[in-house]
Amino acid sequence: MYIEALILLSLIGAGVVFLAPNRYAGKLAFWLSLPPLLVSLYMYAIFDGSGNALLDGDIAFETFGEWLTLGQYAINYHVGVDGISLPLIVLTTVLVTLSILSAWTPIDDRQSQFYGLVLFLEASLIGVFAALDFILWFVFWEAVLIPMYFLIGIWGGPRRKYAAIKFFVYTNLASLVMFIGYLGLVFGLGDAVTSTGLPEVAQALRAGQLGALGPVGPEALAFVAFLAMFVGFAVKVPVVPVHTWLPDAHVEAPTPASVLLAGVLLKMGTYALLRFNFTMLPEQAIALAVPIATIAVISIIYGALLALAQSDLKRIVAYSSVSSMGYVILGLVAYTVYGVGGATFQMVAHGLISGLLFMTVGVIYNETHTRMVGDMSGLADKMPVTSGVFVAGAFAYMGLPLMAGFAAELFIFLGAFESTVLPGAVVFTAVAMFGIVVVAGYLLWAMQRSLFGPFRLETDYELSPAPLHDVVPLVTLVLLIVLLGTAPDVFFEMIRDATHPVLDFGGDL
Amino acid sequence: MEGIFQYAPAIAVLPFVSFLVALIAGEYLPKKGALAGILATGGSLTLSLVVLVAVVSGHTYNETLYTFVDASETFSLTFGLLIDPLSAAMLVIVSLIATLVHVFSLGYMNDEGEIGLPRYYAGLGLFTASMLAFVFSDNLLMAFIFFELVGLCSYLLIGFWFREDAPPSAAKKAFLVTRFGDYFFLIGVVAVLVTFGTAQFAGSEGFPALAEEALVAGETFHGLGAETWLSIIGLLVLGGVLGKSAQFPFHTWLPDAMEGPTPVSALIHAATMVAAGVYLVARMYGFYALLPTVLAIIAFIGGFTALFAATMGVVKDEIKQVLAYSTISQYGYIMLALGAGGYVAAFFHLTTHAVFKALLFLGAGSVIIAMHHNENMWDMGGLKDPMRVTYLTFLAGSLALAGIFPFSGFWSKDEVLFETLVHALGGSPLLLGAYVMGLGAVFLTGFYTIRMVMLTFHGEPRSDTAENPHGVRWNVKFPLSVLGVLAVVAGFLNPVPIQKLTGAQVDFLHAFLDSAPEATLTNAGHYSDLTAEYAGYGTGYIGGEVMTLLLGAGIALGLALVGAGSAFFLYRGAEPTAHTEKLGRVRTLLMHNYYQDEYQVWLAEGLTVRVARAADTFDQGVIDGLVNGASSVSLFAGDRLRRIQTGVVTNYAAFIALSLVILVALFAVLGGWI
Repeated sequence: MYIEALILLSLIGAGVVFLAPNRYAGKLAFWLSLPPLLVSLYMYAIFDGSGNALLDGDIAFETFGEWLTLGQYAINYHVGVDGISLPLIVLTTVLVTLSILSAWTPIDDRQSQFYGLVLFLEASLIGVFAALDFILWFVFWEAVLIPMYFLIGIWGGPRRKYAAIKFFVYTNLASLVMFIGYLGLVFGLGDAVTSTGLPEVAQALRAGQLGALGPVGPEALAFVAFLAMFVGFAVKVPVVPVHTWLPDAHVEAPTPASVLLAGVLLKMGTYALLRFNFTMLPEQAIALAVPIATIAVISIIYGALLALAQSDLKRIVAYSSVSSMGYVILGLVAYTVYGVGGATFQMVAHGLISGLLFMTVGVIYNETHTRMVGDMSGLADKMPVTSGVFVAGAFAYMGLPLMAGFAAELFIFLGAFESTVLPGAVVFTAVAMFGIVVVAGYLLWAMQRSLFGPFRLETDYELSPAPLHDVVPLVTLVLLIVLLGTAPDVFFEMIRDATHPVLDFGGDL
Repeated sequence: MEGIFQYAPAIAVLPFVSFLVALIAGEYLPKKGALAGILATGGSLTLSLVVLVAVVSGHTYNETLYTFVDASETFSLTFGLLIDPLSAAMLVIVSLIATLVHVFSLGYMNDEGEIGLPRYYAGLGLFTASMLAFVFSDNLLMAFIFFELVGLCSYLLIGFWFREDAPPSAAKKAFLVTRFGDYFFLIGVVAVLVTFGTAQFAGSEGFPALAEEALVAGETFHGLGAETWLSIIGLLVLGGVLGKSAQFPFHTWLPDAMEGPTPVSALIHAATMVAAGVYLVARMYGFYALLPTVLAIIAFIGGFTALFAATMGVVKDEIKQVLAYSTISQYGYIMLALGAGGYVAAFFHLTTHAVFKALLFLGAGSVIIAMHHNENMWDMGGLKDPMRVTYLTFLAGSLALAGIFPFSGFWSKDEVLFETLVHALGGSPLLLGAYVMGLGAVFLTGFYTIRMVMLTFHGEPRSDTAENPHGVRWNVKFPLSVLGVLAVVAGFLNPVPIQKLTGAQVDFLHAFLDSAPEATLTNAGHYSDLTAEYAGYGTGYIGGEVMTLLLGAGIALGLALVGAGSAFFLYRGAEPTAHTEKLGRVRTLLMHNYYQDEYQVWLAEGLTVRVARAADTFDQGVIDGLVNGASSVSLFAGDRLRRIQTGVVTNYAAFIALSLVILVALFAVLGGWI
C-alpha cells in the first residue's frame, strides 16, 4: 500500500497545486511534497526486502492485481521495491522537495502549473522505479516525458522550444526501439511466460527458455533485443554518441527541471539498463562487454573533455553528467559485487551531487543573471555561502573522499578492476579513472575564474547573499552527500543485497 | 597504559571539532576560532605524547574501528588505527608543529587584521585533523582518503586570499598536480585491494606480508610475474608520493604554493602535505623493501630532486622562494634515504627537517610581518639587531638546514648519506650516482642558506621598512624559541657517529623504531632484513665502518662549510653585490625553474584545453550537426510533411534510425559478431 500511497499523494498534490492560485502554489507544493518524502523515508526505515525483485527475491511493499489480458499474456498491476529501486525512490522524493524550494526564486510565472507538473513528474518517476510489469512500467516511463517536456518548453530559456522537442522526440523514439526489443523477447519466450511481468520474463530468460521468433533463432533474437533495448536506454542515460539532446535540454531548462533531469531522469536509463539488459540477458552483455566498456570509457573521457571546453556553467555541469554516467555503464558491465553495486550507488550519488551543482548554478544565476564564466569573477566575495557550497559540490563531483561521489567511483573502480568477464578490465579501469583528473581540471578552472579573483560582474546587478530558501536545499544536499560518503552502507548494503543475484548466472562466474 | 589507545582517535577528532567550531561559530568567538584551534591541537599534542610514552613502554595498537563497507561476499573496506613507533612519533611531530602554527597565526593573521579568519582557522583545523588521521591510518585506503583531504585543505589554505588573482591560481595548480599523482595512487589502492583483498599495513595479514608470500611463492597476476606486478603497484602508489612530496617532476606546485599565508606554508612544508608523501613510503616500507627496482627509482628521484631543487634555490630573491626550493631538496634527501634502504635515516631527517623547516618558515613569517609583507630579500638587510629573537632562531634553523655540526640537520643528513654510501659499497653500485647528487646538494644547500641569512639579516637596511621594522609579539617569539631550541638539539635523537665512535647506545630513534613488536612487521630490523634479502642491500666500507663514517661525515661537512663559507664571503659587507647576476643565461634558466612550469602549463592549457575545444567543435559540428542537419535537410525537402507535423519529428526519427544502424554496426564489429 505504501507505493500506492506515494504515487497517489504526489498525484493529489499535483491536482491541488494545479488548481491553487499562483501566489500560494510554491509554498503549497513544498508542503504537499513532504508526505511522499516522509512515506518514502518510512519505507526505507521498515524495508524488509531481500534479493533482487526480478530474480525471485523478497519484494518489499508488493502489490499485485489483475489488469488486462492481451491474447495469452496477462498484463498486471504489479509494483514493489527491492534494494535497487528503494534508494532511487528516496532520491526522487528528496530531490523533488528540494527542487521545489529551489524554484521559489526563479519561477515567477504560471506557478501553479509549474509546481503541479513537478509533482506529477514525481508520481511518474516513482512509478518507473516501482513497477514490476512491463506495460505498467512503460506507461510510467512515457508519462515522465510529458511534464518534463512542458517544464522545459514553457519555463525554459530562449531556445526552449527547440530543446524541449529535441528532448521529447529523441527519448521517445528511443523508447519505441526499446519497446519493440522487449516485446520481441516476450514473444520469443512463447509459452514459457504467461504475462509481461518483469520477474517472470527475467527468470525465463535466465533459465534459457528463449525460443525462435519466426525465422530468427534464439541467439540472434536475444542479440537484437539486447541491442534494441541498449540503444533505447543509452539515449536516456545518455552515452556518447546519442548525448546531444542533454546539454540543450539542461541549458534551456529552468533550474528545478535541470535538477530533476540530471538527478533522476538520467537514472531511469541506467536503472532500466540494469533491470533489462544486464539482468535479463547477461550472456549478451558479456559477449558485448568490450564494446560496451569502450562506449563507457569514451563517454567518461570525451564527456569530461567537452565539459572542459565550455564556458557556460550549466553546460559544464551538463556535460559532466555524460562523464559520470559513463562510470555507471562501466560498473554494470564489470559484473562484480562492487561493479554493479557501485554503479547503482553512483546513480544515487550522482543524483545528489549533480542536483547540488545545478541548484548552485541556479542560485548564482538568480543573482547575476548570467551563467557565463567570462562574465563574472570573485563572486565568493559577495556570495560567500553559495560559493562555499559551490566549492563543496565541485569537490564532491571530483570524488573527494568522504563524499558520496568518491565512494561510488571507488566501488566502480574496484569492481571494474577485478572484473573477470571484461577482457582487459585493468586497462579499461585505468583509462576511465583518468576522468578524475580532467573533472578536477575543469571544475577548479571554472571556480578560479568565476568565484575567485577580484570581484567583477558584467551584468550590473546588485549582488546580495542568497535567500534562506535557496540555501537550505544546498546545505541539505551537502549534508546528504557527506552522509553517504562516510556511511555508504546506508544504501550500499541493500544495493549489494539486490544486485548480487544479478551476478549469479550459469557457469563459474 | 594500553588503555590510552582507545582515546587515540581523539588526536584527530579534536582538531576536527575545532574545524567545525571555527566554521560555524568562528565569527562570534574571540580570536575568531584561533583559541579553539590552539586548545584542540594542544590537546592532540598532549594525547600524542601520552600515546608516545605508551609506545615507548612497548605497547602497540592495530585495530579496525569502523567498517566503511561490510561486503562479506568479497572484501570489506574499513577504517582503523595503527599506532606503532613510526606513527606515534609522527603524531607528536604533526601535533607539535600544528600547535605552534596556530599560536603563530595569532601574530601573523589576527594581529595583522586579516578578514576571513574563521575560514582560516577552520582550514587549519581540518588540515591538522586530516593529517593526523592519515598518520594513524591502519590501511592504504584510509590513508588515501585522508591524503586527499590533506590535498583539499592545502587547496583551501593556499587560496586563502581568494580576492587576488595569484592565490587561487596557485591553489588550483597545487591540487591539480597532486591530483595527477593521486590518479596513479588511486589505481595503486584499487590494485592492492583487488590483488590482496586487504589494504592493511601491519601484521601477517597485511598486504606487505602477503606481497612477500606472493613473491616467495612466485605467483602470477594478470599474466605478469609477482615482482613485476608488485613493482607496478609500488610505482603507482609512488605517483601519489611524488605529487604530495613535490618530487621531480611533480615539484612545480610547491613554489607557487608560497601564495598562501606563511604559517600555512610552515604547516604544509614541515608536517603535513609534503611530509605525507614520504611518510606513506615509510608506512608501507615492508612493501617497498621487497622491490629493488622501485627502491632504485626512489633513490634516484630523491637524489636528483635534492640536487635539482637546490640549484634553483641559489638564485631566488624572495625569502619564501628559497625556503620552498630547500623543502623540495630536503625531501629529496628523505626519498634518497628511503630508496637506499635507510629507513631510520629517512625518518630521522623527516623529524629534524620538520623542526628546522617549521622554524625557518615561521622566522620568515616574522620577517615578513616586520617588512610589511615585502618578501624580497634585496629590500631587507640589517634585521639582526632589531629582531634579536627572530635572528638567533632563524640562524639556528639555517645552520641545521645547511648541515653544520652540531645542529640537528647535520646528524640526520649525515646519516642519510652514510646509509646510501654503505649500501652503495655493499653491492648496489648504482646508488653511488644518487649519493654523488646528494653530496652536490650539500654544497648548494650551505650556499643558498647562508646567502639567505646574509641578505636578510646582515649588512645595512636596504629599504625604509627594513630600517624601521614592525615589531612582533610573544605569539611569534614563543613558537620560534621552542623550535629554535629543538633545531639545535633534535639531532641528538640519533647521533649515529657518536654511537659508532664511542660505543654508547645513543641511537635512540633507531632503537625506538626497531621496538615495534615482531608481529606487526613494522620494525626497523625487519625492514633491513627485507632490503638485504630482496633488494640485495649489503653493507660495504672503505677501510672499516668508523673510517667510512668519518670520511663520509667529513666530506659532507666540508662541502657544507665550503658552501656556507663562500656565501658568507660573497654576501658579507654593508651593501652585498648580486653575484648571481653574473651567472647570465644560467641564472635565467634557474629563475625559470628549467622551464618545468612552462611545459606543464602547456600540457594543461596548450594541449588538453585545445583537444577539449576540438572535441567540442566536433561534438557540435559533427554529432549534433547530424541531428540538426538531418532535420534541416528534410525540412527543406519535406515541405509537405512539415505542414502535417512540426517536421522535426521525422528528422529525429531518421537520425535515431541512423544511429541505431551505426551502433549495431559498431557492436557487430567490436563484438566480433560478424
